Amino acid sequence: IIYLKTFYTLSIGEMCILSGVEMDKEESSVESKECCTRSELVSEDGKNLKSVLCQRCGSKVLCPGMAVYSEKELFLPPMRNKKAPSLTEGSGDNLSAHWLVDDMYTFENVGFTNDVGRIKYLICADCEIGPIGWHCLDDKKSYYVAVERVDHA
Amino acid sequence: MDPRYDRQRRAGGGGSSNSSPALGSQSRRRKIPPRPADFKLQIIIIGSRGVGKTSLMERFTDDTFCEACKSTVGVDFKIKTVDLRGKKIRLQIWDTAGQERFNSITSAYYRGAKGIVLVYDITKQETFEDLPKWMKMIDKYASEEAELLLVGNKLDCETDRIVTKQQAERFASRISGMRFCEASAKDNFNVDEIFLKLVDDILSKMPLEMPSRELSNSILSLQPEPEVPPELPPPRMRCC
Repeated sequence: IIYLKTFYTLSIGEMCILSGVEMDKEESSVESKECCTRSELVSEDGKNLKSVLCQRCGSKVLCPGMAVYSEKELFLPPMRNKKAPSLTEGSGDNLSAHWLVDDMYTFENVGFTNDVGRIKYLICADCEIGPIGWHCLDDKKSYYVAVERVDHA
Repeated sequence: MDPRYDRQRRAGGGGSSNSSPALGSQSRRRKIPPRPADFKLQIIIIGSRGVGKTSLMERFTDDTFCEACKSTVGVDFKIKTVDLRGKKIRLQIWDTAGQERFNSITSAYYRGAKGIVLVYDITKQETFEDLPKWMKMIDKYASEEAELLLVGNKLDCETDRIVTKQQAERFASRISGMRFCEASAKDNFNVDEIFLKLVDDILSKMPLEMPSRELSNSILSLQPEPEVPPELPPPRMRCC
């Protein structure tokens, strides 16, 4: 089991190194859509107007008004679920639009992966799809959820 | 910390443990203000390999039970929120899957736990026979106040049952304060009840005035470092 875990960690680590980013068409269209609806998502004071939900199972990640919109370039490995982990893929996304919270207890439901270097990826607490977000152990006051990788309602 | 902090905060209807200054005004504008957590509790799930610890954790709030999922890779812990007795409770749930060798689970897991779910498989005698070894770890490392719940999992495999309910009841009755139930993560039988019951027991033991700030100190932090003030980037208005 320990060996397995190490293998898993390494695989994700490798994906980070092999960050040959390929934005597929679908995702860039999501981004442009995101851009136009930003005013629907972000309040005047920079908070999330809507609940942040898992795209796959609808599990609630954040309540409205609990996170701050933040732009920061972060690399996230591709979304996957545990049934078909795409650990061998070297692709992923550089994402810049995030919901930022400074305390993990702000989340309604969220999962944290094991450490990948100094990074813990955020996943859906219920269906475990992810990564939906990013946390660096060197900054315990920053938890990012990628706007593109969650639903808003 | 001011012990009344959390209650004041609730009465005020704004703010959260982030203490973000902008949040108060945001809350007042909203019809239903975002409610911060009233309590934060750490729960660990332990038990021998393959008894279904991870499945129990997943079944707790969702319906994506996956027949194929074998053993856990990757997930460290989860934050889950439950509403109970009109309180919003954030659970930090540590699934120890992958660390089943008794000595490999660090004492830190046990130390902060307010609730411990000890799981065995009703179809596998050895997982039941392992229980005293797990109890030894609990006795050694866990807080005496920690609520204990023994769970006989895989009730959906009743035809393959090896461990009788009476055997397990007898085991649990010898340990003071230990509750027992059988469950099926696969059929979602008793799973929500397990956690709700455990949380309910934890809450009922708690003095009402106990501030969640104080409680949160018992929770494992990702990095045991001194508190640093949050550095939030300036909020963005819109991009286009």
